[in-house]
Amino acid sequence: MIAYLEKKSSAAPLAVFRMMLGLMLFISLARFWCKGWIYDLYIKPRYFFSFFGFEFVKPLGQYTYLLFAICMLSALFVMVGYYYRPAMITLFLSFTYIELMDKSTYLNHYYFISLLCLMMIFLPAHGYFSVDAYRDKTLLSGFIPRWCIDSIKLLVFILYFYAGLAKLNSDWLIAALPLKIWLPARNDMPVIGFLFNYGWVPFVFSWFGCLYDLFIVFLLLNRKTRLLAYLTVVAFHLMTAILFPIGMFPYVMIGTGLIFFSADFHRRIIEKVAFLLKLPAAFPDAQNTYTFSKTKGKLLIGAFTLFFGFQLLFPFRYLLYPGELFWTEQGYRFSWRVMLMEKAGYAQFTVVDKNGKQEVVSNTEFLTTLQEKMMATQPDFIVQYAHILKDYYSRHGFQSPQVYVDSYVTLNGRLGKPLINPKTDLAREVDSFQNKSWIIPLNDEIKGF
Amino acid sequence: MKKFKWTQAGLVLLVAILIYACSDSTDDKGTEPVDQSKNRKAILTHWADNIIVPSYANYKVKQDAMIAKGTAFAAKPDAASLTAFRQAWADAYVEWQKVELFDVGPGAKRAIRSYVNIYPTNVKGIEANIENPTASLETTVSFDRQGFPALDYLLNGVGSNDAEIVNYYASATDGAKKLAYIKRITDHMDALLTGVIADWNGTYHEDFITKTGTDIGSPMGELVNGYILNYERYIRSGKFGIPSGAMLNGVVAADKVEAFYKKDLSKTLALAAHQASSDFFNGKNVKTGAEGPSFKSYLDALGAKDIATGKTLSETINAEFTAGKSKIDGLKPNLYQEVLTNNQAVKDTYTELQKAVRMLKVDMTSAMSITITYTDNDGD
Repeated sequence: MIAYLEKKSSAAPLAVFRMMLGLMLFISLARFWCKGWIYDLYIKPRYFFSFFGFEFVKPLGQYTYLLFAICMLSALFVMVGYYYRPAMITLFLSFTYIELMDKSTYLNHYYFISLLCLMMIFLPAHGYFSVDAYRDKTLLSGFIPRWCIDSIKLLVFILYFYAGLAKLNSDWLIAALPLKIWLPARNDMPVIGFLFNYGWVPFVFSWFGCLYDLFIVFLLLNRKTRLLAYLTVVAFHLMTAILFPIGMFPYVMIGTGLIFFSADFHRRIIEKVAFLLKLPAAFPDAQNTYTFSKTKGKLLIGAFTLFFGFQLLFPFRYLLYPGELFWTEQGYRFSWRVMLMEKAGYAQFTVVDKNGKQEVVSNTEFLTTLQEKMMATQPDFIVQYAHILKDYYSRHGFQSPQVYVDSYVTLNGRLGKPLINPKTDLAREVDSFQNKSWIIPLNDEIKGF
Repeated sequence: MKKFKWTQAGLVLLVAILIYACSDSTDDKGTEPVDQSKNRKAILTHWADNIIVPSYANYKVKQDAMIAKGTAFAAKPDAASLTAFRQAWADAYVEWQKVELFDVGPGAKRAIRSYVNIYPTNVKGIEANIENPTASLETTVSFDRQGFPALDYLLNGVGSNDAEIVNYYASATDGAKKLAYIKRITDHMDALLTGVIADWNGTYHEDFITKTGTDIGSPMGELVNGYILNYERYIRSGKFGIPSGAMLNGVVAADKVEAFYKKDLSKTLALAAHQASSDFFNGKNVKTGAEGPSFKSYLDALGAKDIATGKTLSETINAEFTAGKSKIDGLKPNLYQEVLTNNQAVKDTYTELQKAVRMLKVDMTSAMSITITYTDNDGD
């Protein structure tokens, strides 16, 4: 172990990764801005769904644009390695803040990026091919402790492998759901569309997707299979990009996959970039190694160990809850569960005051289409929304309002049924990590992880 | 060296399982032909050519007849011409129920429903417009001053019997103004419908049948959402939920029934609308009555069924349509009276239709993978 921690490796992969991450984030945020989503998702909605424990994180009105601008700017700083550490901290904080503003917009790859950014604060990604290292030659280092690069690989491994484990379930493998539902909707695509009319195609996609997730990192680690594996990464993610509306995720993963290539490969990238930008060739022959001071190194190793311990365990927290995970979604998020469910729902709320006055709520007056869609299928949203309604109706002439929901949810093609006990006064329930006893069980078992 | 073995083993396993996965699925492969029923272009074409366009044509016949009888009534307002106009109005109103559900493309663009069937109508607004012949009929404020509900008032509500109603228009001082307003209303309806039909016969037809996606901006996505919204908001809520007080604040509002002034037409209208939704679901050809490519055939082709019972989703939805229809059938023709004297039956109808709403809105759209948002999504 000690011997491993003292191993060093080229700083080039980390530098390339730093540039890739900064560039991807910049593009990702610019795309988000161009599509008008800052307004649609963070300014237009009247209410926001906070993550448990992060209720203080709210959109900032018009200043949300400023937040995005800061985030984009820090991504550029990170990319070129200029004031790297403050820029990385700013990037991590602003990006994470953005993602915490409304959980209706939660995506696993945003969580992935937040985690990467957090790690990158502590990694010496600015020691090589960066403005910082160019200006301060004492920083310049051609080598870094090997665990720095391996920890990125480990996070990538966790993402893929856990996503693969999550696919080891009866809906995915035995019923080819939800792909059986999603793929026929794309049967009008040029060239490959006709395939989706065949019943066996979703099975091939499901099984391949599962095996890909489980094994791709092993194949990337092996020098002999690496090139083929990487081509598979590119093909797989481009395919998902064409088929599903998953935004930047495929490109982020294609970029991230480069980390598995050799130091030489990354040095060649850097030479290319340097040549294209007509930069001085001072970097390639830097020979000294970036070292952490003894205490700092120990602290970092400890922190990273804790971090990865958490990452390995947290996705399994669903085991602590009764009921079917896909149905209750207790412990669903932050666990690399991607593209696993076709879930849709309908939730109609009735607010009753103690004098018997009642009103059926029109959701569109409170929520956006996206928020309503997310709310209707997820119990934690439903109870948060019930409290939004309770507060609203308390202010509008209802005395100690009670909130009931008539809900109806379909999961992977099962005929819809109520998700929430219609007799539960949700105004009295709170969102927490406790089991939500007012969820009506699915009464069907999806076997597996 | 250790790592090397790991990956070798992984590779072998990957290939092995892949072969297994592929061979596992060959059972389906051999027997399944390329299935035309999943061809959305065929469905869209059937909808356009055999349902939507002919329905608009049928409606135009009735609306034209109504306009003609209106002209005759204006020329000579008497009991006979009033009766004829009223009958033509009722016929056209029933036929309208069979096109109201096509809230897509040309109809949606013009918001034709908003000008043709927003009720309860606004009597004060109608009177104001009669006084002001240049008042715009294009604004949102004007929605409830025109269309069938305004004609309902003008043909059935301006007097307590036919003689009084005829007198209302025979008045020397403002009879002409009142008749002129009727003409303004019917002219506007004519212009809207002419535009919608022209678009369907023009380039929109090609757009409709060739843009075969299921996303939010596609014709199918738009049609599905409009179809369901019609069933939910304009049949379930408008015709039953709101008048009975089953919705919103529980206040009974009998005067919010459709065709409030005619009264005994309301059930006929509701039945026509409900039947149109059910027929459209089953792809019933308006010209031949035969079923064609439709939600039903598409859902069946997708294999949409409940895992627990094995019953297909289309069967379940059709059973719910039948249950809803029988609830409406059980009501008396005058829904205003029903709300006042037999409101539980009206509320029960609402509750029954609500079951179909959920299935259409949740089960059907989910099975068809119709998207309702445009933002990134990594799988619900």
